Amino acid sequence: MELKPSIPSSSLIDQHVFPGDVVLDLSKITSQTIKLGGGLRQDGDLISVMKGGVLRFSKPNKYWVETSQKRYVPSAGDNVLGIVVDARSDNFFVDIKGPTLAFLPVLAFEGGTRRNIPKFEMGTLLYVRVVKADTGMNPELSCMDASGKAAEYGPLKEGFMFETSTGLSRTLLSSPTCPVLETLGKKIAFEIAVGLNGRVWVNSSTPSIVVLVSNTIIQTASMSPTQQKIRVESLLQKMQ
Amino acid sequence: MGLKCLAQHYLKSTGPSFILTKKNKPLRRRTASLSKMEFVNPEGLRLDGRRPMEMRQLRAEIGVVSKADGSAVFEMGNTKVIAAVYGPREVQNRSQQSNDEALVRCEYSMANFSTGDRMRKPKGDRRSTEISMVIRQTMEACILTHLMPRSQIDIFVQVLQADGGTRSACINAATLALADAGIPMTDIVTSCSAGFLNGTPLLDLNYVEDSAGGPDVTVGILPKLDKVTLLQMDSKLQMETFETVMQLATEGCKAVASYIREVLLENTKQLESRRGV
Amino acid sequence: MEQRFANSWRMTVNEKKFIETALLSDLRTDGRGPFDYRNLTIQFGSEDGSSEVQLGQTRVMGFVTSQLVQPYRDRPNEGTLAIFTEFSPMADPSFEVGRPGESAVELGRIVDRGLRESKAIDTESLCVIAGKWVWSVRIDLHILDNGGNLIDAANIAALAALLTFRRPECTLGGEDGQEVIMHPPEVREPLPLIVHHLPIAVTFAFIGNQSIVIIDPSHLEEAVMGGKLTATLNTNGDVCAIQKAGGEGVLQSVVMQCLRIASVKAADITGKIKKAVELYKTSRDLKKIKRHPDSVNISNKLKDMEKPKLKLEKTSGSQSDDMEVESHSSKKDEHKCKAVIGGTSSWDPYSKVADADELKESLASQDVETPDQKMDVTPHEKQQLNVIDESLRDADPSPSLSVAAEAGEVKNKAESLSDAVKPKHKRKKKNLSNSDGS
Repeated sequence: MELKPSIPSSSLIDQHVFPGDVVLDLSKITSQTIKLGGGLRQDGDLISVMKGGVLRFSKPNKYWVETSQKRYVPSAGDNVLGIVVDARSDNFFVDIKGPTLAFLPVLAFEGGTRRNIPKFEMGTLLYVRVVKADTGMNPELSCMDASGKAAEYGPLKEGFMFETSTGLSRTLLSSPTCPVLETLGKKIAFEIAVGLNGRVWVNSSTPSIVVLVSNTIIQTASMSPTQQKIRVESLLQKMQ
Repeated sequence: MGLKCLAQHYLKSTGPSFILTKKNKPLRRRTASLSKMEFVNPEGLRLDGRRPMEMRQLRAEIGVVSKADGSAVFEMGNTKVIAAVYGPREVQNRSQQSNDEALVRCEYSMANFSTGDRMRKPKGDRRSTEISMVIRQTMEACILTHLMPRSQIDIFVQVLQADGGTRSACINAATLALADAGIPMTDIVTSCSAGFLNGTPLLDLNYVEDSAGGPDVTVGILPKLDKVTLLQMDSKLQMETFETVMQLATEGCKAVASYIREVLLENTKQLESRRGV
Repeated sequence: MEQRFANSWRMTVNEKKFIETALLSDLRTDGRGPFDYRNLTIQFGSEDGSSEVQLGQTRVMGFVTSQLVQPYRDRPNEGTLAIFTEFSPMADPSFEVGRPGESAVELGRIVDRGLRESKAIDTESLCVIAGKWVWSVRIDLHILDNGGNLIDAANIAALAALLTFRRPECTLGGEDGQEVIMHPPEVREPLPLIVHHLPIAVTFAFIGNQSIVIIDPSHLEEAVMGGKLTATLNTNGDVCAIQKAGGEGVLQSVVMQCLRIASVKAADITGKIKKAVELYKTSRDLKKIKRHPDSVNISNKLKDMEKPKLKLEKTSGSQSDDMEVESHSSKKDEHKCKAVIGGTSSWDPYSKVADADELKESLASQDVETPDQKMDVTPHEKQQLNVIDESLRDADPSPSLSVAAEAGEVKNKAESLSDAVKPKHKRKKKNLSNSDGS
């Protein structure tokens, strides 16, 4: 600890970092509050990395490490896809691929009252929002947006769900739209719901389109944008 | 020379310990080179005097275990099997409870005195684990499990006398016991085995025929739906021959089914008269 | 949280429904048709008798080992075959630590029945002394990743491992002829198992109300299926084992249809296994030649060095005997090379350098003392030497009388040849010729 590596923080931004790397030295920074995101940890005056990934910085003062893991770490505000596991009088138990099951209060629906509690079969797929994610307690979900409207949240009917990594789902959600979805969307019509927990739901009028879309997404996961574009176009041509 | 010494040492070090373990091992069931034996004599009769397509005598009795919710004894010739059913009852292991269907469990065992060699059979060996699973899945196929969610049905079958075809006898006994317990079923399941020896398809093999090393086809069917639910086969058989042997076994199953039907009918009549209806 | 929610893999209603509806239009979630098998790759470990099979996402490792044991009392002259399965919790969260579960037992039994009851492995050839010592062959099947259809993958892994496995050769010796002498692989080439035919397991799943039949179910499809049927067949059209342990009932005609499809797939898979094994065997043979890389090296080096100055000749003169033998080995490379080129891409770079003519040149320049006849040990003679070696070994009684007679004739010649070579090289030579035989 005596040897404080004085690495300027800017050099590490958008670079690959590994557990143990020191990104920031707080003693060097004065009169500024910084916000730490996932994968970073404060160790005395030092900010060090906990996970392998790419260090990101967003102005004015947010730092986080972007990783692509399969497990999801719940964080408030994320939109995720959950599977109903059990129903109790107060809560639905929902599996969101996190370390613990999440609770979905039976009243957390638009206009939800004790009288109109929705009924979910075990294994129903829900598009939900994480409301609370504190350590030491199960995360809490909601099927309403902040203003109390249903806003697309709720059970997803039909379609097909597959699991990928959190990194891929983030790419799918990124803007501008990722090349795979863009190219696919120009040619065929389909519905897609991407959860930040690495679950993706696809629906369309015919099963063949669903199979095509889901397999394309899985297969092109590790390709560069141009490769993706070429691949998708060739696949689409094959289909026609 | 050095090599020889090495080999000797190797034998010395492993030899005695193996002899010890070997002593505890049961005799292999299959006897060697019975293949030259005549299983069907020129008159067309089998060792026990049956015709190739003849079944052994069937006998069944319902309600033999008073404590159980349903029970039955089923005999196919000298093979005798007892089955008891408990349930639907509360699930014992809560972690296995299912919210939309009943849990079916099955335990198959062979009584120590059931075979000729007086060997103590270890419980839960690979063979009985497999047969337990086979019986469970076969019975599950006909039980309407979704009508009894959050409950458990236990099927216990024990072989009292083993003379070939124990698997079939177990399934037939379990069917009767389930029917006796009043568990809702889509159809009854009946089972029978068939083999192929001396170029002849043989129905319902006994122990000697079974241990000849020839093919052994066990079939379980849902007789009303005419569908095959259980099918197991060993040894080598040409595909065309297999079809005829399977056909034969299926016919056997149908014969068993009509007998089981009779037994159940008889039993129901008795119950009626007892109640004085 | 309640224990029953812990760590189990969950399937949504959507997936279940989708798999069923997509199948109505002959589509599967991974883009396959109902009767398409997944991609099959077979790899082998560095040791004999180890294989790794990848079937889509499913990965299974097979490992075969052998040991001398006492035979069963009722089968004194037959070796034993045992199969052990390991469903590691690493491969799937539903696998539990400890005792093998039902599926592990079923898998082991199906593979076991397919191999044993159809007598695919010649167990009688595993007998050393009847009633005393037989080889016990043990197959370990480790599930590394569960992507569905473990049975087929495990069966292929077992077969591939069995086909490449070799046990050390052992002969009887000692005063009473009852002592077992084991020959390490360096001394005598280990013996492969005798495999009569390959029983291939092909699994079908029945899905949905109409019991739609699909082949090679994936992990998802296994979670939805109402029942499955595993048929084990070989390429001769024999049915070696069938397992349909309850579940959804199907019509007899469907069973027969499955068997017919299975026999086609079995032929397909047999071809793939054989091809993979063949590739492995050639690379193994090549490796064996590489066991003496020094010899080739030296000759190459010498050749390179000799061109500028012939002074070396004297120093190498004392090694001439060595060189003689080695030249054979490199020549052998030469022939192997020709046979193999086009077959494998991984070829030992050394032997390619060793051009036959150049070698002869170099030998001629250095081997002043060696008589000419020695130089001319051509491959033809070498083959005869092999025959002798094999007939001398007498482990294999197969060589016919005429061959033996011919061998006897050459024997004298060969002896005179081998007399010239130092006895310690005999062993080396034997090895080489054995390698040729295998």
